[in-house]
Amino acid sequence: MDIIVCVKWTPDTSEAELEIAKDGTDVKKDDLDYDINDWDRFAVEEAVQIKERRDGKVTVVTVAPEDSEEMLRECLARGADEAYQLWDESFEGADGYAVAKVLANFCKERPYNLILTGSLAGDDCAGEVGGMLAAMLDLPYASLVSKIEINDSTATFNKELEGGLYSSLEIDLPAALAVATGLNEPRFVSIRAVRKVASAEIPNMGADDLHLSADQVGADGSRVVYGSMALPPEGEGAEIIPGGAEQASARLAEILKEKGGIG
Amino acid sequence: MKKVFVLAESRNGHLRDGVWEALALGKSIAGKLSAELTCIVMAADGAAMAQRIAQECGKVMLVEDAKFDHFNSSAILKALPKLLGDMDSYLLLMGNSNSALDIAPGLSVRLNAALAPDSFGLDVKDGALVALRQVYNYKVNTEVSFKDAERVIVSVRAGSIPYTLSGDAGGNVEKVDSPIADEPLSIRFKEYVEAEKGDVDIASADVIVAIGRGIGEEPDMDVFQSLADTMGGVLACSRPIVDKNLLPKYHQVGTSGIEVKPKVYLALGISGAFQHVGGIKGSPLIVAVNKDARAPIFRVAQYGIIGDVNEVAPALEEKIKELKG
Ligand SMILES: Cc1cc2nc3c(=O)[nH]c(=O)nc-3n(C[C@H](O)[C@H](O)[C@H](O)COP(=O)(O)OP(=O)(O)OC[C@H]3O[C@@H](n4cnc5c(N)ncnc54)[C@H](O)[C@@H]3O)c2cc1C
Ligand SMILES: Nc1ncnc2c1ncn2[C@@H]1O[C@H](COP(=O)(O)O)[C@@H](O)[C@H]1O
Repeated sequence: MDIIVCVKWTPDTSEAELEIAKDGTDVKKDDLDYDINDWDRFAVEEAVQIKERRDGKVTVVTVAPEDSEEMLRECLARGADEAYQLWDESFEGADGYAVAKVLANFCKERPYNLILTGSLAGDDCAGEVGGMLAAMLDLPYASLVSKIEINDSTATFNKELEGGLYSSLEIDLPAALAVATGLNEPRFVSIRAVRKVASAEIPNMGADDLHLSADQVGADGSRVVYGSMALPPEGEGAEIIPGGAEQASARLAEILKEKGGIG
Repeated sequence: MKKVFVLAESRNGHLRDGVWEALALGKSIAGKLSAELTCIVMAADGAAMAQRIAQECGKVMLVEDAKFDHFNSSAILKALPKLLGDMDSYLLLMGNSNSALDIAPGLSVRLNAALAPDSFGLDVKDGALVALRQVYNYKVNTEVSFKDAERVIVSVRAGSIPYTLSGDAGGNVEKVDSPIADEPLSIRFKEYVEAEKGDVDIASADVIVAIGRGIGEEPDMDVFQSLADTMGGVLACSRPIVDKNLLPKYHQVGTSGIEVKPKVYLALGISGAFQHVGGIKGSPLIVAVNKDARAPIFRVAQYGIIGDVNEVAPALEEKIKELKG
């Protein structure tokens, strides 16, 4: 069972104070911390667990610049067998389609039974790369997947629908599956595991290695263009109760009492 | 662009709400482009649904095949490119449901179309389509335009497009043969599975204290349970709390969890992603505590405190106890 896991190097914006960059088409990223996309950590864990049950090899791959090596190394410490960083400067400015194209060319060159991705990335909130990659490789695909069970030439899993409903599905292998968060518990990475992979080689591949021409990658290979970005105005919506925790809580308690929020 | 299509999603013979939003958006864009609007129904047994849509839309294409049952993505991905053929230029709209997540990206590759997923708006500017999306944990709004865009797919965020059903379009239903009659499917439906139900029913609670990732890596759950108890309410949460096994799934509020309609909803350390907020729309009073003044939750809340939940939660419980006397 050979599994390729696609992991994305994403800025953590959930708590950061964001500012729009000068040209107005992105946020300032210099001060943001980058890490593996939340959903993808679950994908790596799932791949490693499947390997532990059925043997085979887990390969993690990212389309991201040099800094992402740290993330790939952590994936190795989590139990992946090899890691690849796909990047050259011409990949800059790629949309989801152009990223999927790079990943597709990488996957085409090696054996796999299963490709795992996350269902959504926290930065572009798109949920598109997995499905595009699958179509480029002519693989069946499903997202928001949990309870994966691998059989010889098929896999079964639950696909999350709305309102707490799932459909139980069977898919032919090879296939691409985008995992749901919470389908497993990503393991704790020990210092020993980190040390063990400290000097593991992480090959880099660029456009030439992947047989991609200049018009297939980066902004040129993209189909959409992100235009002006804007932060919604501060203070829009809620009435902010002033004061420190004590004072604000006292006022909030009164409001709650008025509105029947103290049962 | 002279054609606009809407792909209608259904489950067990019922149209999903996203159809009406996609259709409303489709009508507005078709109007601006002077384009023809067609709604496509792909279902095992779709005649009644097609008739219902024809009351709202002039042209309906009905394609019936048992393989489309349960909105099977592998069947739709095979059939739709054949149905649309080599038409040069069109806009295809669909609701951005969990099923659409399996369909829209693959379709964009197979149809050679540009995709704007999960869009909350779409307009025509200087003759070109511009979609509105949210990025960076839904904190930033952005415009998306389409390069050399002859074919464009837009999936529409649930709850983002207002619509009214008039029932008087008097449209036509055209039946088209399924183009995939004899091919085996690579994804096969087995059964529907319901999430496990538990000892609390947050859907019927009047007061809800909901916790999110902002409570920290190693939270003291007693603090929040105790606050909920003091308020006479129940404890609920966002998805990451369930993912970390801090609370069972039946405490999760949101589109993939439970829809709630309490009198008071207190959100602690929850950013307010639309999948979460989608589950609390009916609540008359939403109060949020978050250390980020720009967290989207403040856009749906009536009152907010900007601060640390781990300080506010115990302080609030104290103050409530004092008021209760
Ligand atoms: C198909 C699909 C379905 C989904 N369904 C659901 C669903 O049903 N329900 C759901 O909730 N989510 C759902 N999600 C996930 C959703 O997109 C968000 O990722 C999730 O709601 C975020 O949870 P959160 O607000 O707890 O965490 P985050 O987005 O990480 O937000 C944490 C917040 O806490 C604040 N914070 C941090 N520390 C503190 C502190 N000390 N004091 C105060 N505030 C603090 C931060 O500023 C931040 O705003 C779904 C996603 C997808 C793709
Ligand atoms: N640059 C990338 N490198 C590797 N995998 C990616 C990349 N971008 C997206 N993915 C994968 O696609 C999933 C969905 O991302 P997105 O379509 O960007 O929301 C992620 O969870 C990753 O598994």
